[in-house]
Amino acid sequence: MRTKPMPVSRRHVIGAGGAVAAAAALGLPAIAQPRPFKLGYVSPQTGPLAPFGEADSFVLANVRETFRNGVKIGGNTVPVEIVVKDSQSNPNRAAEVAADLINRDKVDLMLVASTPETTNPVSDQCEVNETPCVSSVAPWQPWFFARGGKPETGFKYTYHFFWGLEDVIAVYTDMWAQLATDKVVGGLFPNDGDGNAWGDKKLGFPPVLDKQGYKLIDPGRFQDLTDNFSAQIGAFKQGKAEIVTGVVIPPDWTTFWTQAIQQGFKPKIASVGKALLFPSAIEALGANGENLSTEVWWTPAHPFKSSLTGQSAGQLADAYTAATRKQWTQPIGFAHALFEVAADVMKRSHGPGQRDATLAAVQSTRLGTIVGPIAWGGAGPFKNVSKTPLVGGQWRRGGAFKYDLVITSNATAPAIPAGGKMAAIV
Amino acid sequence: MAAAWRIERSTAASRAALFAVALAFAALLALPARGDSGDLRLAVEICYSLALAQAWNLLAGYTGLVSVGQQAYVGLGGYAFFALTVLAGMPPLPSLALAGLVAAALALPTAFVVFRLHGAYFAIGTWVVAEVFRLLLAQMRPLGGGTGMSLPVAVVRDLAQSRGARDLITYYLGLGLGLGTVLLVFFWLRSRQGLALTAIRDSETAAASVGIDNRRTKFAVYAIAAGIAGLTGALAFLEKLRISPDAAFSVGDWTANVIFIVVIGGIGSIEGPILGTIVFFALRALLADYGAWYLITLGALAVAVMLLAPQGLWGVVARPLGLQFFPVQRRLRPLNSPQTAPEAASPGRGD
Repeated sequence: MRTKPMPVSRRHVIGAGGAVAAAAALGLPAIAQPRPFKLGYVSPQTGPLAPFGEADSFVLANVRETFRNGVKIGGNTVPVEIVVKDSQSNPNRAAEVAADLINRDKVDLMLVASTPETTNPVSDQCEVNETPCVSSVAPWQPWFFARGGKPETGFKYTYHFFWGLEDVIAVYTDMWAQLATDKVVGGLFPNDGDGNAWGDKKLGFPPVLDKQGYKLIDPGRFQDLTDNFSAQIGAFKQGKAEIVTGVVIPPDWTTFWTQAIQQGFKPKIASVGKALLFPSAIEALGANGENLSTEVWWTPAHPFKSSLTGQSAGQLADAYTAATRKQWTQPIGFAHALFEVAADVMKRSHGPGQRDATLAAVQSTRLGTIVGPIAWGGAGPFKNVSKTPLVGGQWRRGGAFKYDLVITSNATAPAIPAGGKMAAIV
Repeated sequence: MAAAWRIERSTAASRAALFAVALAFAALLALPARGDSGDLRLAVEICYSLALAQAWNLLAGYTGLVSVGQQAYVGLGGYAFFALTVLAGMPPLPSLALAGLVAAALALPTAFVVFRLHGAYFAIGTWVVAEVFRLLLAQMRPLGGGTGMSLPVAVVRDLAQSRGARDLITYYLGLGLGLGTVLLVFFWLRSRQGLALTAIRDSETAAASVGIDNRRTKFAVYAIAAGIAGLTGALAFLEKLRISPDAAFSVGDWTANVIFIVVIGGIGSIEGPILGTIVFFALRALLADYGAWYLITLGALAVAVMLLAPQGLWGVVARPLGLQFFPVQRRLRPLNSPQTAPEAASPGRGD
């Protein structure tokens, strides 16, 4: 997946040499090819997190096409080089490839996507090695606080755009309020970056649910890739939970949901982060995927346009389906938006090799992207964090694909059109 | 008859080879003058992988302790380093040394448990122990629990203010760890305890019958290997800047790759892990961008080497030539005809 230099054949070299000689003979000035502006991109393309990187090759092909003739920086046209690295879903590998991109490839701007296990090691390398970095697709609290971020000082080189826990809590409770339930919620929070943040007693779900009159049953943190959820299911059954929520990895949700059905536990609502983002994960549940709900950060219905290609969200998703014959997924919009930010930063930078100017350009970003407006420089954590809108949706059968994601809650972002009302799991 | 033989340790070839090794080392010392920080980082990774490989070779190749749980001590070393610098506020360099000691110290009680197991049970037992440590660390909130924690920029600055100076310090630390481990293994194997190690490798019962304290020797090897793994963990996570239980106790990164290095290089020799490290990093540089195919190639190569050349690549190269860079064995040669082929000696696997 890494960018290879154009293969140069012997004939090309001789031909070019001839052209240079001719130009010299004619007395034309030789124009030196300027050093390209280098972008580094790290994402999980293989391993358990691979669905997050599935759309990368499509997005990269699209972006490379728009950068083909370089970008205009202060009147000069500068070529753009994108160096892509696979984190293999492994935080050790993510740190290594980030260090390589910084020290070896000497990238001018780092871009990184998908889950704290990828964004955090890469952002840490950039902060210490003084390389501007823009990250996305991880809720901002596990990115900011889990890296030891202090709201008073923040970070100097690392910037992030995505939504936060306060948004997902608002979306979920709005979805739950649409149906009559006993307001008892079973929580599945694993012992990982996301799970610890969502289940946090001060910053996570518990205090907000308490305030809104929900009763949370939290059986405690469990390790990822658990193969027996009997303890959790037992606790939820005993407490008569009619709602299940949490943030679990896709294989764990499949295990939990299958065992819950076997053991006769069927809540009215199941709103789960991370596991239910991808159509492949829902299809794996067969008929049992109907009406499961999740947070929605991007859909073809989002009323935003790309600042890079002018495409609407719908056009970008259609282009993806046309190119890959696959159903659209949420990371498409965010991977595209990372390169929108990069293009905008490059235009306002002083060219390659000018780190301080590039950093200043990142800091002063004010850009409307395909995932919504992005700007940094707010108070506290928002010096480094820009929030994008979040809505909620349910998976329903019967559309163009096996399951379609229908927006059922847009109270948090009314500009994004809803496609239906919440329905209970039957 | 006895007067017609002499005991030989180094040969002309091995003395020449040792000289070449010294030259290579001098070149490595001078690397920072030419290489950029990317080269230096790679060199550090190569050095600590070599240290892990030599330590594992000492365990499996000489003492017969086939551990697949060395990640336990890499992880403990890494976490000890983070705890000492971030929570206790100690300076990075003493913390690094102390992290190695912590890992070695924790290895002793662990050894009491796992040494009750033998063969395949020992291998699985060590892996289980590593998982236990991973789960324990995942419960420790002050160290970030399952989320993990980042090394604050202030700690990194404490090592050295400028990036160049930090690169230089970590490079020499890595070089010291890699070379130090090779020399430690070399001189250990040439000592009386080295003879004990090879005796245990060949037959525990026979070794015990000639008066070797098997248990004490194994404890020493296990603790030293854990200490080296602990130092590696501290250095590796100082470079990676972020630690989490999954990264720190990764069986793939810290044990499977290391076993690969030792097996394809040649188990039971000092040169094997060195050659294996070179082959591993060359393959990674060439193939790492091919995703799953990279891992399939590594696996296929390991299987091929195990089937076709059980002595590893170094065995293939060195056996026919009688080559030895690090002479640790004693050969018996007739005094009057020094050219006689080594079958007159007792080659074994390197004793």
